[in-house]
Amino acid sequence: MTALSVSVNTGHPTSPRLLRWLVRLHRPALWSWLGIVVVLSGALLWLGGPLTDASAAAWRQFNACGMGTCHYDQDSITRYKDAYNYLTYAVLVVPFAVAAWAGGSLVGREMESGTAQLAWTQGVSPTRWLATKLAAPAVLVAAGTGLLALLHHWAWSAGEGRIDTTKPWSSFETFYANGPVPVALALTGLAGGALIGLIARRSLAALVGGLCFTAFAWSATQLAMPHLWPTATSVTSLRHNGPSGAGITLSSGLLTSGGDRIADPYCGSDLSLQCKDLYTSLDAVSFYKDYHPESHFWPLQLMASGVLLVLAALLTLAVFRLLKHRTAS
Amino acid sequence: MTAARLPRVVLRLHRTALIVWTLFVLGAVAFLVWLNEVEADRVQAQTTLCRHASTYCANVFASLDYSSPMGWISSVVYYSFWGVAAWAGAALIGRELESGTAQLAWTQGVSPTRWLATKLALPALALTVGGTLFVFVFRWGWSAHRDLMGDDWTFNDVFAARGPALVAWSLCALAVGTLTALLLRRSLPALAVSVSVMVVLNRYMEKHRTDLWPNTPTDRSRHPASHFWPMNLIETGILLTIAALSTTAAFWSLRRRTA
Repeated sequence: MTALSVSVNTGHPTSPRLLRWLVRLHRPALWSWLGIVVVLSGALLWLGGPLTDASAAAWRQFNACGMGTCHYDQDSITRYKDAYNYLTYAVLVVPFAVAAWAGGSLVGREMESGTAQLAWTQGVSPTRWLATKLAAPAVLVAAGTGLLALLHHWAWSAGEGRIDTTKPWSSFETFYANGPVPVALALTGLAGGALIGLIARRSLAALVGGLCFTAFAWSATQLAMPHLWPTATSVTSLRHNGPSGAGITLSSGLLTSGGDRIADPYCGSDLSLQCKDLYTSLDAVSFYKDYHPESHFWPLQLMASGVLLVLAALLTLAVFRLLKHRTAS
Repeated sequence: MTAARLPRVVLRLHRTALIVWTLFVLGAVAFLVWLNEVEADRVQAQTTLCRHASTYCANVFASLDYSSPMGWISSVVYYSFWGVAAWAGAALIGRELESGTAQLAWTQGVSPTRWLATKLALPALALTVGGTLFVFVFRWGWSAHRDLMGDDWTFNDVFAARGPALVAWSLCALAVGTLTALLLRRSLPALAVSVSVMVVLNRYMEKHRTDLWPNTPTDRSRHPASHFWPMNLIETGILLTIAALSTTAAFWSLRRRTA
């Protein structure tokens, strides 16, 4: 209980004191977080630099090959691909780890052990206690996750046009790891974890609750994201094999002469007589597709982050209200 | 508390975990049965209609309605050993050492060895029974409508879920979580470490599965389906060996500490 001696000695601890007390109590978490950010940042720099260069060189070798057998550095290509996939997942897992920690360790554990309740009797107002507990981690979480997302975007774009198998911008994992959504999700996880910690008052239950809440917020984000910005629509002649337009597709199919939208039977181009007959019988005149082109990347990311940050703000408000309600009675 | 009542005490303490596990397994099994007995017929009718290119069919990818939940079930049950590792590290052992409940029990006529043996035996039994039930039902469901599925036996989740390796993964996670908790004696760090160890071990095994059995010289790149059983049994053997070593180390460290 070394942590408490600080507040016991002084009647009314000031904010820097509270902060020092928080740091002392969660020192392993602080070091772990710094370690995670430093290691992942280093790995992302390695990915965007040497690994991308080696893979790009191997692709140049491969593309220079004729039809016969030839030598190219296949190991560099697979190493880049593996490292890219693992690091993308690592960036996406960060918000879950933050939520689990916030629920289990930051709030749940202290409520369970009574450390929090003891602190409130030592001249630290519960509101002040919670404000410090949320503000300091929020700054660190936002800075660390933001740095990781930034580096991920940089490492991804370093391979564009140089590595033939670079993930497209709209690929699910790449899309989310390349923008501010993980930062917003981590902050939502922090607030949600804290709220669950306060409700459950048990560390393991709050840890599981924090994880489930983040999974829920994450799934809801995925479902809502394509609808947060108006889509573009492409109309393509039936000469082609299907509708054109690469990106995040919401719906696609056939347009009839009356303007109705019907499902695509995936027959292909009307150059084939069979398909031509089929399209004629359906009264179809062209393909259509509602989708988000690459120019929608930032609007979609910012809208999704905005929604998550509003949720984080509401959750923070709920934590404070619940705490006030609980300590008043 | 006497030694004879120990199993009942352990059951009561981890009642929630047992209920969650039972519902999880039964839910997965029920979903499998429904998919194969009800949903498959509907999907089959749609895909038959779509096979005639000249007729219009509104849902070309109808088979996904069947195949994607099938894939989800095997993946979720296979990777549930992450949860087992987390639970064993944090709730089963870590929490009790941290709170002193374990130390209290050892002064009440329950020897530490007996305490740990009971703590391991009951979850091991539940994991084995639940896992075995799932493997049998999944083997039936997976082979029932092959024409609707796009996977094959080498997929990571399918490979594990069609043999004893599925049970071995959860037993290994139980043992590793227990050892980690006994070494760290704190629930949250034990949870983080045991899950990390199991994730890394799993990634490593999945990458090197193809090396578990020699390939036939005619076809170097792919294993024939007849290699499934030897490969699955070897993986099971490796995992059970790791589980046995972890369990031995756990008993050894407990005895050393309480001696």
